[in-house]
Amino acid sequence: MHLYKTMRSFLLDQDYYIDMWGNFIHVYGLVDIETLGEKQITLILEKFKLNIKGLNFRVLKLTKEEILIEGILEGVSINYE
Amino acid sequence: MNRESHLWIEAELKQKDRLLLKCFKMKIPVYDTYEKGKSLFLKIRIEDYKIIKKFWFVKIKKKDVTGLLKVKELMWKYHIFLFAVLFAIILLFFLTNIMVKVEVIHSKKEIRDIVLLSLAEKGIKKNTFRKNYHELEKIKKEILEEYPEKLEWMEIEVKGMNYIVRVEERKIASLDEEKTACHIVATKDALVKDMVFSKGDKMIMINDTVKKGDILISGIIKKEEEIKGIVCASGVVYGEVWYQISASVPLEYTVTKRTGKKRWNFRYHNSYYDDFLLKSRLDSYEEESHPFFNLLGQELSFIVQHEVEKETKLYTEEEAENIAVETALKKIQSSLDEKESIIDKKVLKKEKNNSTMNVEIFVSVKESIGEIQEFEIEEIKKE
Repeated sequence: MHLYKTMRSFLLDQDYYIDMWGNFIHVYGLVDIETLGEKQITLILEKFKLNIKGLNFRVLKLTKEEILIEGILEGVSINYE
Repeated sequence: MNRESHLWIEAELKQKDRLLLKCFKMKIPVYDTYEKGKSLFLKIRIEDYKIIKKFWFVKIKKKDVTGLLKVKELMWKYHIFLFAVLFAIILLFFLTNIMVKVEVIHSKKEIRDIVLLSLAEKGIKKNTFRKNYHELEKIKKEILEEYPEKLEWMEIEVKGMNYIVRVEERKIASLDEEKTACHIVATKDALVKDMVFSKGDKMIMINDTVKKGDILISGIIKKEEEIKGIVCASGVVYGEVWYQISASVPLEYTVTKRTGKKRWNFRYHNSYYDDFLLKSRLDSYEEESHPFFNLLGQELSFIVQHEVEKETKLYTEEEAENIAVETALKKIQSSLDEKESIIDKKVLKKEKNNSTMNVEIFVSVKESIGEIQEFEIEEIKKE
């Protein structure tokens, strides 16, 4: 297990990343989900909260670490607490 | 194709986000989603279905697998159809690859038997799998090498489920050349009309009358009564030969005419049974057969039965006489070759009975009248 974690951290040397293209938002390094609405989605990552605002949000894929959202993006804010 | 099997579920619930949040909390991966009306469709792992099913706020309406499981499910659902298709493919394979007949085309039975036997030894016989082109070529070559003195040429043709074998016999030059002493003698009484000879001494002239057994071309070449040489005479002598033939023709004849009415039927045939599958509803008919299926001696043919009307008619005396003459001439003509011909004909006698017309005909024919007859050289020398 240690070997696996070492290999993984070597190959994937980021704790999180956020990709945005077209009408899609891909977030990796998800810890929790606070809200999941059509106009707002709040995601909790390890060190901050990610607020995504927009219209017609729809979750396309969801795993324990990442999420893929489709919708019209109006704004993204990061909130360090 | 996605090899991993997943499950699409249709979940009916009021708060769609709630299910997704619950999935996230329960660490259930969701691979795809879409909404339709009040339902939320989720693509999940098969093993996660049992967990989601327990959520009290979700009502699962429908589920559908994907990947290999979907293939298995479809195969099971349509297994009868798939089995039928597979069976049809196998049957088609058999039908297109099994040969049910080997036909050797040659006038001599001896040649046909030799070829059939050789083919059978090499695996070309009825109810066997079809050989490919290269195998057929190899077999053909082997048979021709096996009988170099009897077979000149051979062709194996695959026609449907039959092998058609065409053979040409090797004709070795006549042994005439080995004959050292022979005459050409007359085979019948005749009037000499034409003559072609390459060897020998001509004993007759054109328009000479000859009797059966007369020497036409002699193999003894003489000069002033002295024998100068002995050869095997060769040549062809054509003479006018006379025949008296009688022929009789029935005065009544039947004419069949199709009415236009037809019925379809099937005929099943094997070595024990040969009959129609459906009851024939026409009293008098002509058949038109279309082979439909032929496998391992079992034949099924599609038959079109055309209804016919039969009418009995009578020939006039003149018509009957013409037909009788024609029949007699055809009979003679069939025994003549292309250089031989009918010169003249004359009706000698005609007689009408109750139902037949009897005609006697005189026919003169130009035909070959010579045949080779060997003689002993020693006897000639003694003379």
